[in-house]
Formats: sequence, structure tokens, C-alpha cells
Amino acid sequence: LELGINFDHIWQKTLTVLHPLKVADGSIMNETDLAGPMVFCLAFGATLLLAGKIQFGYVYGISAIGCLGMFCLLNLMSMTGVSFGCVASVLGYCLLPMILLSSFAVIFSLQGMVGIILTAGIIGWCSFSASKIFISALAMEGQQLLVAYPCALLYGVFALISIF
Amino acid sequence: MAYHSGYGAHGSKHRARAAPDPPPLFDDTSGAYSSQPGGYPAPGADVAFSVNHLLGDPVASVAMAYGSSIASHGKDMVHKELHRFVSMNKLKYFFAVDTAYVAKKLGLLVFPYTHQNWDVQPSRDVPVPPRQDLNAPDLYIPTMAFITYVLLAGMALGIQKRFSPEVLGLCASTALVWVVMEVLALLLGAYLATVRSDLSIFHLLAYSGYKYVGMILSVLTGLLFGSDGYYVALAWTSSSLMYFIVRSLRTAALGPDNMGGPAPRQRLQLYLTLGAAAFQPLIIYWLTFHLVR
Repeated sequence: LELGINFDHIWQKTLTVLHPLKVADGSIMNETDLAGPMVFCLAFGATLLLAGKIQFGYVYGISAIGCLGMFCLLNLMSMTGVSFGCVASVLGYCLLPMILLSSFAVIFSLQGMVGIILTAGIIGWCSFSASKIFISALAMEGQQLLVAYPCALLYGVFALISIF
Repeated sequence: MAYHSGYGAHGSKHRARAAPDPPPLFDDTSGAYSSQPGGYPAPGADVAFSVNHLLGDPVASVAMAYGSSIASHGKDMVHKELHRFVSMNKLKYFFAVDTAYVAKKLGLLVFPYTHQNWDVQPSRDVPVPPRQDLNAPDLYIPTMAFITYVLLAGMALGIQKRFSPEVLGLCASTALVWVVMEVLALLLGAYLATVRSDLSIFHLLAYSGYKYVGMILSVLTGLLFGSDGYYVALAWTSSSLMYFIVRSLRTAALGPDNMGGPAPRQRLQLYLTLGAAAFQPLIIYWLTFHLVR
């Protein structure tokens, strides 16, 4: 029974996100799959709900706007184009560390100094792996920090929602 | 159901095509559409294809196929309209930047006084992209600075009261209105002074967007060091921004006209440049002082 969801691929992509220092393979993003990102988005919303913040609609709205913005920016900055599904898929996969952050926020409050350092670290982790996947898939040289910065802005907004 | 069998055959053709190379799981959307001039693929098709496995029901798959074809149709229409207004290649020129350029340009925006050579490299057929020419304007920095400013403003307001996402939308729309008004004013001024240069609307957008960098720095120092720090940073970034704009626009606006333009027209262009430059600190102050109360 083939459901069209290849768990092996999903696991591979998840591992790429979880090892931010390992060089990414450019071909793994050839299959656009939205199943993993959907699961991560729902998990993020669930952890937010556990922390008592009923702002699910904002999460969806901001992720839609952010994906659209990244899609326009990447199309303008890279030589080859990129499809919207690919952008949404990568950004959704790199949301995984943010789920860790928001589950922390359920137990401890993140508004102290430790929380701020942890948040900054996790935002850096998310944007670093997202930009790593983007530049290896789109063959953009010398632009990793430039791609990482808008990703950091997007994940920063998510973090703001988790904290406040 | 003829429709379903047609769609199924389409699917099996994909499977057969996939057999020679290592089987990709879903369709490679970005590769399949590279023949298009703009290279904008429609992702609706592959999502529909993968979901098709879940829905054995032929009616649902017909609906899915119809929906995805409508989606791609709509997408094509949007792109056609977009191409009519904005030339993608000209816009792409402004985003061909790399990290070294951005770092140097930001340094230049904060401390332009020691930079010697302000001339943009002469363009033969295609203008030299910002990667290779430090003096060329780009749109990456202004766009990022604008978005950062909106987020920072939302955060600053949120620290004072409680953070809520509606505040973010309010800041975004206010800043956007100001940008539009300033670009329109600059266009009007350029039209009245009949500045004949290669300053397209994107150039004006870029130069008016550089002040957002100064705004961000002022707000950050204001948040960290109180309102004294804010005024110091405001003065410093305003003066460097004015210097930067006057030096850059003087060569850009007067360059081609240097030989033949009559003296009063050149003076008018100079006044226009100075006026635009002097206008910047006012806008910076107006848009940021309420954040550093």
C-alpha cells in the first residue's frame, strides 16, 4: 500500500536539519514533500496550545507570508528559479528546532537571560540549516549569510510568538 | 471513467520516466519547467499527484485534477500580469549581491567619509551587477532593512505595552505608506527638474531604502542606551547617510549630463539632490522617535 509518503526521505531531510554542520546534498530537495512540514507545523501549534497561547491563526498567516517572501527573494537572488513547494518544504522542515523551543516554553518561561540566549541559539540553528539547504539546492555561492538573514527574521517572528 | 484513466496513464508515464534514474519520490518540479523563460513551475501538479494515491475515488481525483489545473492557470495569469509591470531581469540585477558586497556596503553607509572612488563602473551593454561594483545600488539591503525595521518597531512597541501581532501589521503599513510617498515625491522632483539620467524607479527605491539601515541603528542604540544614545546615533547616521547620498547621486545623476547640460539645470539637479538628502534625517526622526519614548 503506497501512500506516497516516503518515510526514509522524510527521515533523511530531518537528519539534515538536525546536523547543521554537516554539508547538505543538493539533490535531496528535488522531491517536494509537504507532509513533513505539515506535521511540524501542527506540532508547533500544539506546543503553543499547551503553553496557553491560542494564536494558531497567526502562525499560519505568518508562515504563509514568510514563505511567499522567501519565494520571491530566492527567485530574485538565484540563477535558477525555485518552486513555491520547495521553499515551503524547506522552511517547514527547519521549523523542527523551533518546536523544541516552544515545548521548553511550556515548562519554563523564556523571558529571562537564559531564555533569550536559548532563543537566539535556536533561531540561528534553524536559519543556518535552512540557508544551507537552499544554497546547496540552488547552487548559490557566497550568499549563505544573505539567505540566512531573512530566514532568521522569519523564525524570529515565530520565536516572538512562542515567548510573548 | 475516461478522465481518471487518462490521469492514471499520466501517472504511469511519470513512473516509467522515473525508472532510469534513481527514483525520485515526487515530481521534480523545478527541473521540469526550466524551459519556460521565467522558470516559474506550478507546484499544484505534484501535490495533486501525491495525494492521488490516497484518493482511490475517481470523482475526487477528477476534482483534484481540475483544481490543480485551475491553480496553475491562475498562477500563469498572475505571472503574465506581473511581467507586464515589472521587468524581472531588471529587478534581478538589483539582487545579484553576495555577502562581501553587503558587508562593505553596510560599512559604507555607516562610515562613508574615507571612501575615495564613487563612480559607478561604466556600463557597456549590461550594467555591472552589484557583486563586482561596490558603488552600484542594490535592493537587497533596503528590503531587508525595511523588514527588520518593521519587526524591530513591533518589538519596541511590544516591550512598552504587550506584544500582539496586530501591532506588527500597523507598523508595516505605516512604513510602507511612507516609502511610497517618498518615492513618489522623488519621482515628481526628478520629473520637474527634468533630470535625464539612468535613475530608474528601482534606483530611487534603493537609495530611499538605505535610510532604513540608519533607522535600525538609531532604534537599537536608543533601546540599549536610552534616549541619549538614540540622539547620538540619530545624528551620526543622518550625517553619514546625507554624505553617502550626495556623493552617490551626484555621480549617478550628473554623470551623463556633465558635458552638455546648461548650468542652471545642473544647479537645479544639485539642489534636488541636496534637498532629498536633507529630507532623510527628518523622516528618520519622524519614524523612530515614538519608538524610543
